[in-house]
Amino acid sequence: MSIALADPKMMASSSSGSSLFRHTFALTRRSVVGRLRQPAVLAPAFIFPLFFAALGSASFNKLAGDPYFTANIAKSFMNYAVAGAVLQGVLFGSTSAAGDLATDIEQGFFERLLASPISRTAIVLGRLAGSMVVAVVQVVIFLAIFLIAGAHVESGPLGFIGLIGGGALLALAMSGMMAGLAIKSGSAEVVQGAFPLVFVLMFLSSAFFPRHYMKGWYRTVADWNPMSHIVEGMQGFMNHDLNASQFAKSWLLPFCIAIVSIAFALRALNNRLAAS
Amino acid sequence: MSNLTAEQPVNVRTISEGARPFEVVAILVKRSMIRVRRMPSAFIPSLIMPIFQLIAFSGAFGFAVTSLGIKNALDWYVPLNAMQGASFGALGVSFGLINDMQTGFFDRILMAPAQRWVTVISSLAAAVVRCFVPITFVVIVGYIGGMNTPGGPMAIVCVAIASVAIALVAAGFALGLTFRMRNLGAATLTQFAIFFTIFLSTSQVPLSAMSGWLRGVARINPMTNILRFARQGFLGDVTWEQSWGGLLAMGALLILTFIYAMTGIKKFDQ
Repeated sequence: MSIALADPKMMASSSSGSSLFRHTFALTRRSVVGRLRQPAVLAPAFIFPLFFAALGSASFNKLAGDPYFTANIAKSFMNYAVAGAVLQGVLFGSTSAAGDLATDIEQGFFERLLASPISRTAIVLGRLAGSMVVAVVQVVIFLAIFLIAGAHVESGPLGFIGLIGGGALLALAMSGMMAGLAIKSGSAEVVQGAFPLVFVLMFLSSAFFPRHYMKGWYRTVADWNPMSHIVEGMQGFMNHDLNASQFAKSWLLPFCIAIVSIAFALRALNNRLAAS
Repeated sequence: MSNLTAEQPVNVRTISEGARPFEVVAILVKRSMIRVRRMPSAFIPSLIMPIFQLIAFSGAFGFAVTSLGIKNALDWYVPLNAMQGASFGALGVSFGLINDMQTGFFDRILMAPAQRWVTVISSLAAAVVRCFVPITFVVIVGYIGGMNTPGGPMAIVCVAIASVAIALVAAGFALGLTFRMRNLGAATLTQFAIFFTIFLSTSQVPLSAMSGWLRGVARINPMTNILRFARQGFLGDVTWEQSWGGLLAMGALLILTFIYAMTGIKKFDQ
């Protein structure tokens, strides 16, 4: 019988900055590899956004005949739909990444991580960074497909980077929130059960149709929904010249949400540690 | 200890006599409804989602529809969401069947002296009963939202017929797949199939507003005819011209999916 002993050097340095980075990197890698090994779980995050974007482009393209739409929103509905597809894909991906974390808890791997000499923060950050990596890949693939299909990034190469950064920060914000829920509940079912809330947030925003054409209470909800502003920042990169408000909406806003959501996730982790 | 004597008549039917088909159907439908009552968490999403989608679609895409001359976006989306809700509500029979297969209860049903078609019809009947709940809720929400029914009561009759037909088609397809696959993947695949079939039709906007590939796909999609049948009473009068295509599509799909379910149970037996 053999007993594995933890490296004392590693244990001693488990709280230092460099080890936090190393542990986070290792867990990020595990998270990404884990996602790639489950193509069936990853597929909906690619198929549905692209399907809805294609559907919207073919259904609502005649809206591009409206002078207001052409002058202020986008030149074609496909160009408008790109940001909605990015938002949708990232939200789908972030939810299923948090589902993986909950599965780790259910299957006992999380307990083994806690028992090992690694930084606690890295357990959460690794998962979140994994979501960001997947989101970056997702956005790049989406943009490649849309560019082939005839879309244009009107703000140029910096707009391309703006979209990728926006997608990554949104993934950080949403997966932080979902990871907090996963750690708090310890149940993949609860995380999946929370997905309809994400779905509601997405539909009650301007992800699929411009706010300008909405009316009544629906418009009011969309005006207050942060998702509307995040997606409009991304739509700005696709359809207008580069400006600071696009970064403020699609980078700064998700970044602020990410701070809150990471704090929520770390607090949930502390509570779980205190309870165990 | 029981004390049966020859004088006490016992109501036992012989195996050759078999169980009365409609009695079996009624009992299995009742069992399915008891499952809904005992596991509401499995049924409630199929109730909430069509209502949410109705609100979301009419709120988000309302302009795209009303700009084409339709008075209220709900007139366009109520039939769609009633049909969608009915189909997803009906899928519960597939989940129930998988559960029965896993627990071994389905083997006991197969051992019972009931014919195979009775088993299939029972599941389809349960699907019909289940689907009425989402249809009713969607129509009520539509009325609250101010939808118009220029076709009068026939508008509701048409949407009910179309929704029940789609529920039966969904349940028949799900049963056929479940008998073949014997796992939860069957229900998931059916959900995908219904989802894509519905959305690749005139679900969002009329054919005249579509462009490109979708127009071509929606034109040959039988769901377009069924939606036209379901919507006619919300957009104008109910006429034979608007009805026959939908009735034909529903009839053909019902026959095909029933055959698929029956051949599925035969394969399961083998």
